[in-house]
Amino acid sequence: SSTRNQPISQPLPSALATARIIEDLGSVSYPRGIKSPKVELNVNAKHGKFRYDRDFLMQFMKICKDKPDNLPPLDAIGLEPSEQGTGIPM
Amino acid sequence: VEVDMQAHAESIRTVFNDPTNFNVKHPLYSPWALWFDSPATKGRNLPQTPMSSFPQTPLPQTPSVAAAGWMEDIKKVIGFDSVEEFWGLYNNIIKPSELPPKANYYLFKEGIIPAWEDEANKNGGKWSIQLPKDKNRHKIDDLWLNTMLAAIGETFDPALTEAESEDSVPRSLITGVIVSTRPQFYRISIWTRSAPGQDDEDMRKRIEAIGRHFKTAVLGYPESQKLSGPLATEVEFLSHKDSEKKGKQAKKPIVV
Repeated sequence: SSTRNQPISQPLPSALATARIIEDLGSVSYPRGIKSPKVELNVNAKHGKFRYDRDFLMQFMKICKDKPDNLPPLDAIGLEPSEQGTGIPM
Repeated sequence: VEVDMQAHAESIRTVFNDPTNFNVKHPLYSPWALWFDSPATKGRNLPQTPMSSFPQTPLPQTPSVAAAGWMEDIKKVIGFDSVEEFWGLYNNIIKPSELPPKANYYLFKEGIIPAWEDEANKNGGKWSIQLPKDKNRHKIDDLWLNTMLAAIGETFDPALTEAESEDSVPRSLITGVIVSTRPQFYRISIWTRSAPGQDDEDMRKRIEAIGRHFKTAVLGYPESQKLSGPLATEVEFLSHKDSEKKGKQAKKPIVV
């Protein structure tokens, strides 16, 4: 289907670009079912210097899918998938 | 009170509350940069990594011809400083299992060049493991993801947890992580800012704790498991200086 809600040529400024940094993890309440970062990793946390456990971080995987605005075209930097198949014996 | 609670809830929207209109993001302990090189980045007329991207750590003053050539071949892909940006990158870039042989991803803290010549690396070393390609092709992507998450989540260095107060938190020992693909094996490395000297028991313990965390929590092996075999190594640490020594001068790595 070719119907789209927004023309590709006029992207809105992404939420990522305008979102502000969380300064106090304690001020954030996550929706039910979402784990907060492990408290013991941040007992000594300085302003904005947070540590995050893997279980917390993995929850973003399925949600944060938008390509970063500043990601260069991968083929322009020589970063292209290769057909590895069986691999080449040395 | 109810109204206040509602106003508060509306003022902070994470990506979990609203995936398209969130207004806060989770800052990382340090900003990071992803670099890449492969035979395809060499000798091609590609945009050069601007030198302005690492103002604090200029190239070594007398780089060897080889080092200078290598810096032209390595490409900085992107920098980021939030959890949300990391996943946007991860979900739009190819995985190690899809890379050609002889390619490397370098995820290093912003401002640190992924080379041992950098000020932040020159007195350090690396934990690394080599894994045969045929047996690990289906695992390497998860192992690398776990490695990156421990790096950006800053959970490798236990000394950051053990500090007694905010003011006694030491500087993190981690400077970056690397995944390398070769025709017959993969290698994952964790680079550290320091390496234990002869009688430096405290640093040795701290470095060993990083290695154990890498082996057990990140790679998922039991602590006692022997890993070496054809094309495979244990989880081993060598300082960059000792890595240079070959033959009779060669130093034994620390193994966990």
